[in-house]
Amino acid sequence: MTRIAFLFLAVSALLQAQETPAKNPAANNPHLGNPQSIRSGMALYRTRCADCHGLDAGGYRGPDLTAVLAGGATDERLFGTIRKGVPGTEMPPMNDDPDDDILMIIAYLRKIGTVPPSDRPAGNVDNGARLFTAQCANCHRVAGKGGRIGPDLTRVGTSRSRSALVREIRTPNEWIPPAFETVSLVTKDGQRVRGIKKNEDVFSIQVMDTRERIQGYLKSNLQELVYEKTSLMPAFPAGRLNDSDLNDLVGYLGTLRGADLTVK
Amino acid sequence: MRAFLTIILCAVSVALAAQTGAPLITSQDLLDGLKDPTRWLTYGGDYSSTRHSPLTQITPENVNQLTAQWTFQTGTTGSFQTTPLVVDGVLYVTGYNNNAWAVDARSGRQIWRYRREIPEDWKGCCGAVNRGFGVLGDRLYMTTIDAHLVALDMRTGGVLFDAELIDYKAGYSATVAPLVVKDKVIVGVAGAEYGIRGFIDAYDAQTGKRAWRFYTVAKPGEPGGNTWPRGDAYLRGGGSIWVTGSYDPQQNLVFYGTGNPGPDYYSGAREGDNLYTASLVALNADTGELAWHYQFTPHDVHDWDSTQVPVLADLTIGGQLRKVLMFANRNGFFYVLDRVTGKVILAKPFVETTWAKEIGADGRPVMLPGHLPDEDGEKTCPDLGGGTNFFSPSFNPTTRLFYVTARETCATYYGYEQTFKQGQQYTGGATTRPRDQKNFGALRALDPVTAQLKWEFRYTLGTTSSSGVLSTASGLVFAGDGEGNILAFDGRTGKNLWHYQLGVPIRSTAGTTYMVDGRQYLLVPSGSALTAFALPQRP
Repeated sequence: MTRIAFLFLAVSALLQAQETPAKNPAANNPHLGNPQSIRSGMALYRTRCADCHGLDAGGYRGPDLTAVLAGGATDERLFGTIRKGVPGTEMPPMNDDPDDDILMIIAYLRKIGTVPPSDRPAGNVDNGARLFTAQCANCHRVAGKGGRIGPDLTRVGTSRSRSALVREIRTPNEWIPPAFETVSLVTKDGQRVRGIKKNEDVFSIQVMDTRERIQGYLKSNLQELVYEKTSLMPAFPAGRLNDSDLNDLVGYLGTLRGADLTVK
Repeated sequence: MRAFLTIILCAVSVALAAQTGAPLITSQDLLDGLKDPTRWLTYGGDYSSTRHSPLTQITPENVNQLTAQWTFQTGTTGSFQTTPLVVDGVLYVTGYNNNAWAVDARSGRQIWRYRREIPEDWKGCCGAVNRGFGVLGDRLYMTTIDAHLVALDMRTGGVLFDAELIDYKAGYSATVAPLVVKDKVIVGVAGAEYGIRGFIDAYDAQTGKRAWRFYTVAKPGEPGGNTWPRGDAYLRGGGSIWVTGSYDPQQNLVFYGTGNPGPDYYSGAREGDNLYTASLVALNADTGELAWHYQFTPHDVHDWDSTQVPVLADLTIGGQLRKVLMFANRNGFFYVLDRVTGKVILAKPFVETTWAKEIGADGRPVMLPGHLPDEDGEKTCPDLGGGTNFFSPSFNPTTRLFYVTARETCATYYGYEQTFKQGQQYTGGATTRPRDQKNFGALRALDPVTAQLKWEFRYTLGTTSSSGVLSTASGLVFAGDGEGNILAFDGRTGKNLWHYQLGVPIRSTAGTTYMVDGRQYLLVPSGSALTAFALPQRP
């Protein structure tokens, strides 16, 4: 009986321990306003974040963080997003980093991030949507509809600044996202495949071909493998997509902020 | 210029539509099971859940040459309990903490990854595990630990729909691999340690809308409801579904084993047989209507979920060809049921059992006294882990042997009253291991017509195994021990022919086998890694 009581107490203690949710460290951030922490946060930001979010946090491939802050994001939310990443996007989790590193990054962002965004989506969104259906949807998916050979754009409005979108439409070869680089290969039995590289090592390559079949190939079974320099995404210079249509298209893309796929 | 582009775009659209319009996996493919040796399309290999592959390249003669070809490390915590699916040279694998991957079957390289956040306030008794995908068309179906069903795009891992089974905050979770039958995706919920009322659901494969629900805990006033006390005890009655069922297309019935009643150990909270917990339920696949049920353990008080794998076969018994369902139960008995009527054909212990003398002619266990857990504790064999558990057995129809990972164990069970509080464990007791108890595990081959033990391979004394079993038409049996080895056996004699130390014991599955480029692979999930084996290639 004593053992039972002990067991029960142990279980209760365990349950109570589980019951209290871990407090978000950003609720009490000791680094806010501390010049030394802000300098450390800047260094961390530049190595870990700036590649996607831009040196000025104005957004490059990743969202404009000044807009995120101006939009009212709390420090707790920032902490959660940095710690866990964002599933379904290129934003990775910072699983193994100490809380303090993340808190110093937040302190740095708070120091710089009070400027309202300058490039809110504009243009004729309806015309942008029409253009998208006609010109883009064969390769890009939105909310489960469209092609798969290009990146899924379901939440591109939250993950790309306007200037990044313009750049990627006008000059897509300037930067090709990982897992979308063009390759063509010929197998030893003469099969020709062109598509995008999903993954690769010394011995094998994984490809989605232009018919959207995903498949791995052992390099020992290939007679030819060519890494093409250009994206499968065609460039849309002004002669093909005038500034007004581009503005509308980007306006429409800015509205793509995730889809609710919940079954009602 | 624009007209020219439009033509090109139209041509591309047509090509894409032609490709993407054609479903990759049809209902007929699922019916065909393992006929196409390049595929593994459902949790149990095919609808009968025999986990018996027709492949013969790897044989008892050459299995000692099996060589690791590659290892895929997920980089996540937690152990695999999954059965990977194989379609067109690509593996589709679910893992711990709501993760999933598409992996190149030739090289073990990742093609895509799916990840879903787990709510911070989610709680579950037994880890954020997952047991695998279901597939139909170009969609994969996966339950999530926070009790949703998601449909993923096979080519990208993108979410196509997200259907909530029930609010996880009430103690529910989901770990079962979906069973796809015709146009429906059949799943269930876990959480019997948290005072849930279990159910089996079917969802429309296209829309994600719920088609039917069968509650595994009957409500007073409804059929079976008189096996629960009056009042609301049934709302906490358990009956989890966490292992995939089987399907008989001729009868259009799905068969599921159901989990323990809740609270697990305290009898006083739920007088009666507690239908349909610790039972086998046969449901119409289109409507969810109950065709028949058989309760293995009426009023279970030892946490013996009957969530083992129902294995379907046609067997000649007493000169008659019978449609049977074989079931090695956590309660220590091996059952052969008539899957048309639900009647017991045979029920014999396959491990030491101390709680029942036998299964009587009426199908009910003949109970032995002294096995009701109380505050002083009572010793019963097997322990709460059971004579076997969720790990899949296999059945070779040629040798007519049923292969199962057996556990020889006992426990002291305690039971006491516990106040229910939503979101907290509600087990009404605990167990301890008797000090003098020496547990061990074994791979056993049973003749399902007599339940006679044909051979056994004993694992190390002191540990048990949680590995499933795979058998092949060349006469091989693969299983894992409790120390991290994957082993190959001669299925007729039990002679050990090969082993490989994986570093972490296998849980749940012994792996799958498939052909790619003319080579037979054995794929084994253990820990958070997948390892693929094949025979050496000749130059």
